Amino acid sequence: MNNLNPLPGKASIIIVGAGIQGLSLAFNLAELGVRDMLVLDAGYWQGGASGRNGTLIRGAFSSPEWTRFFAHSCHLWQGLSKRLGENVMYSRRGYTMVGERSATAALLDRTLEVHKACGITSSLLTPARLREVLPALAHGRVSAALHLPDSGVAPHHAAMYAYRQACAARGVDIRYRTEVTAIDQSAGRVSGVRVGEHWISSDTLVLAGGAESNRLAQLAGVPLDGYPMRLEAMALEPTRPLIGPAVALLDRLCYMHQTARGEVVGGAEVAERPQHTLNADVPVMAATARAYLEMFPQLGHARILRQWAGLVHISKDFGPLLGAHEDLSGLFVSAGWCYGHAGAPAAGEFLAKAIVSGEVDERMRPFAVNRFECNRPVVEPGIVLSHFE
Amino acid sequence: MSNGSLRLERASTQVLEFFWNGRAVQGRQGESLATALLANGIRTLAWSRKSHRPLGYSGSYVTGVLARVDGVPNVRLDLVPVAVGARVEMQNCWPVPGFDLLRLSRLIPASWIQGGFEHTNLVPSGTALFQRWEAILAFLAGVAKPAERSGEVPVPMARHLSADVLVIGGGPAGCAAANDAVAAGRSVVLVTRGHSLARYVRAAGHARPTLDERVQLVSGVEVFGAYREGELLLAAPHDPAQGALALEADEVILASGRRACPPVVPGMWLPGVMDVRTALIMAHEQSVAPGARVVVVGNGDQEAVASRLRELGVTVVAARPVADLRRVVGRSRVTAALFARSVACDAVVHAGPWLADASLTFQSRAEGLLQLREQRQSRLREVGSVMEADQLLPVAACSRHKTLLCPCFDVSDHEVEALLAQGITDLEVIKRLTSCGMGPCQGQPCWDALRALVSARSGIALAGLARPTLRPPRRALSVAQAAGLAPVVEPLQ
Repeated sequence: MNNLNPLPGKASIIIVGAGIQGLSLAFNLAELGVRDMLVLDAGYWQGGASGRNGTLIRGAFSSPEWTRFFAHSCHLWQGLSKRLGENVMYSRRGYTMVGERSATAALLDRTLEVHKACGITSSLLTPARLREVLPALAHGRVSAALHLPDSGVAPHHAAMYAYRQACAARGVDIRYRTEVTAIDQSAGRVSGVRVGEHWISSDTLVLAGGAESNRLAQLAGVPLDGYPMRLEAMALEPTRPLIGPAVALLDRLCYMHQTARGEVVGGAEVAERPQHTLNADVPVMAATARAYLEMFPQLGHARILRQWAGLVHISKDFGPLLGAHEDLSGLFVSAGWCYGHAGAPAAGEFLAKAIVSGEVDERMRPFAVNRFECNRPVVEPGIVLSHFE
Repeated sequence: MSNGSLRLERASTQVLEFFWNGRAVQGRQGESLATALLANGIRTLAWSRKSHRPLGYSGSYVTGVLARVDGVPNVRLDLVPVAVGARVEMQNCWPVPGFDLLRLSRLIPASWIQGGFEHTNLVPSGTALFQRWEAILAFLAGVAKPAERSGEVPVPMARHLSADVLVIGGGPAGCAAANDAVAAGRSVVLVTRGHSLARYVRAAGHARPTLDERVQLVSGVEVFGAYREGELLLAAPHDPAQGALALEADEVILASGRRACPPVVPGMWLPGVMDVRTALIMAHEQSVAPGARVVVVGNGDQEAVASRLRELGVTVVAARPVADLRRVVGRSRVTAALFARSVACDAVVHAGPWLADASLTFQSRAEGLLQLREQRQSRLREVGSVMEADQLLPVAACSRHKTLLCPCFDVSDHEVEALLAQGITDLEVIKRLTSCGMGPCQGQPCWDALRALVSARSGIALAGLARPTLRPPRRALSVAQAAGLAPVVEPLQ
């Protein structure tokens, strides 16, 4: 899993963070012919959000910016096993957004229009069709349901394994349990990083450190929007298939799906002060349980196997911060991810292109790192998250 | 014992008839479903997930006692008393328990299912075939049919309990600590998993400890998680119709004792192997013997356990040190225990090695942004045997006989050795590559077995191998019980 040789003295590009963002980027850079890359991670394989997420691949949202970006990523997921040479187990089982309030039904109507404009396949399900797609749902509570047939889930262990193997096969040097302790610059350009006493020179550096992004930006001496935020999830004891597609219960800020090993995995948001810890707490578990019980009554007797927390980096508009950092030449950022698992294939492709050729893809441009300074946030009303107020 | 039955002479004569896979079975008043089935000679109650190995009532591996009871899947048979007319059905069978085609999965080569169904590379995603393949995997991995439709399950409201001192564990150490605290004028709540105090100590033939009547006793409740730096503990009654408990106290005293963990030798998963606590309590309270010919292994107390079992009417054929046990022999149940020579038996009771359950201590002291580790002070204090150092788990030498580290998910020593050969020794990574300890027991005791094996094979000291994060609630809590916690535990503001 880990390269045991001594660290090199220089690298063409250093990526800080070997989660799915760092590995997807390294893979795409290798495909563009970049050699002698180094990926450094302070934690263990899958220890960060890339091993703790809900594994959902959602290919469309309610804003055109998010929809174009994630639709492309979803498209890439479908061919990813072939591309990486390992099974990412992307399951195209569909993603159903369920509304209960009438205001949410109206949002889903508007969302459908956005999808049409972006050329995305999606449909509002009639009650009869919803019964076929989600027979176990408490249909009496539903006001509207929008279904994305091309979306689905991909277990993070499979995706992370596949990316790591594909990177290793292309000679990318990946080091876990290797913490970057300083970032050096000279004459306004990145010059290298330190790992304790060891110095590694490089003129190109990518920060893909998830919840550690602000701390890493500080090491580089540049500002970065956002803050670390705890998200929680839980898994139920397995049963044979009960819930087909992935499900977002929009009015409960709850997402869920039944994994290929039978566990129902998901989480609901509660209004709490942002927590900077990996320890799990009680209110999210209780809210998630309540959502399950009311929306899927057959889960009421099910037992909770485990709950856990993960840390993500949240930007002001919940969108990724992706691209070159304006304040330091040679510095690139892939941060602000709360749908990072779904977005990784597209993010890696776009950012690799930007690093190698300087060309910024139109689908990536709205998520520029400095968009808040320029007062250009991306408004996305259809996500299952909120800021604490 | 009479007529080859495992029921001892003191057994209740009041017969309660229930159904096992549609067949009428006679239980006795006071027995649990698991005990009643064992007393009827039914030792295999469940099947492991990948290779369909038989599993039974062991006290160590929860999967062995999970079955469908009256339409509800994954009910713990060792916690449900026999009731007239109960319909108990085996899970992980298809199409029916009597004609189970899933047993053919034992013929699948181990290398094909390494890491579990969910790590397969046989059919890559991106094709229509994958979707069908995944549906089959989900069916196999799911093990149990979902619950029957019966409308919304009522939410049992949680309760909040607070006191100056919370004592967890109703054994002699817990009772003594509670008595001391109450004598010092403090309010005390004592929570115990059993339906009465000190079940194990009494089963072992010792006197019942006294508990000051000013102590508030809450029994039949499992404390499953410590939250908020150990300031909030959650507990759930074994009865799913009862609400969960949120517990708060200025001081938390952990007196949960230790438990016997299966040594890492081949065959320990077989139906017929039982830990000493389960065996003694079953023989003492329910008057059923673990087997007709029992071998006891232990870390020094095997002779005492053997003579106590004999007092209770159980036939013990040998008592040996656990370190001498090379293998438990049998195909679908225990037929012998192999030491330097083989001893024919139908049950093995292991009394040791003794380890403490580290969950609550870990959760109340855990901190870290990259990985949770015990590194914070908490208000949790340990008393009694839980304070003693964990004993080493004996690890059998490499052999062609597989040792299962995680019987529920069929994770074997061979599988982990293949990862060690690639230089992977991080237990968090091994967990994610094999699913070891991700089943119903959530790594207890599997991660101790994994840790002992990795240490023995790699030469890394045990202290250098942190257990994977011990996550609550380890199936102690149902969805309905969790929903009842919402009004009781406020989000942090």
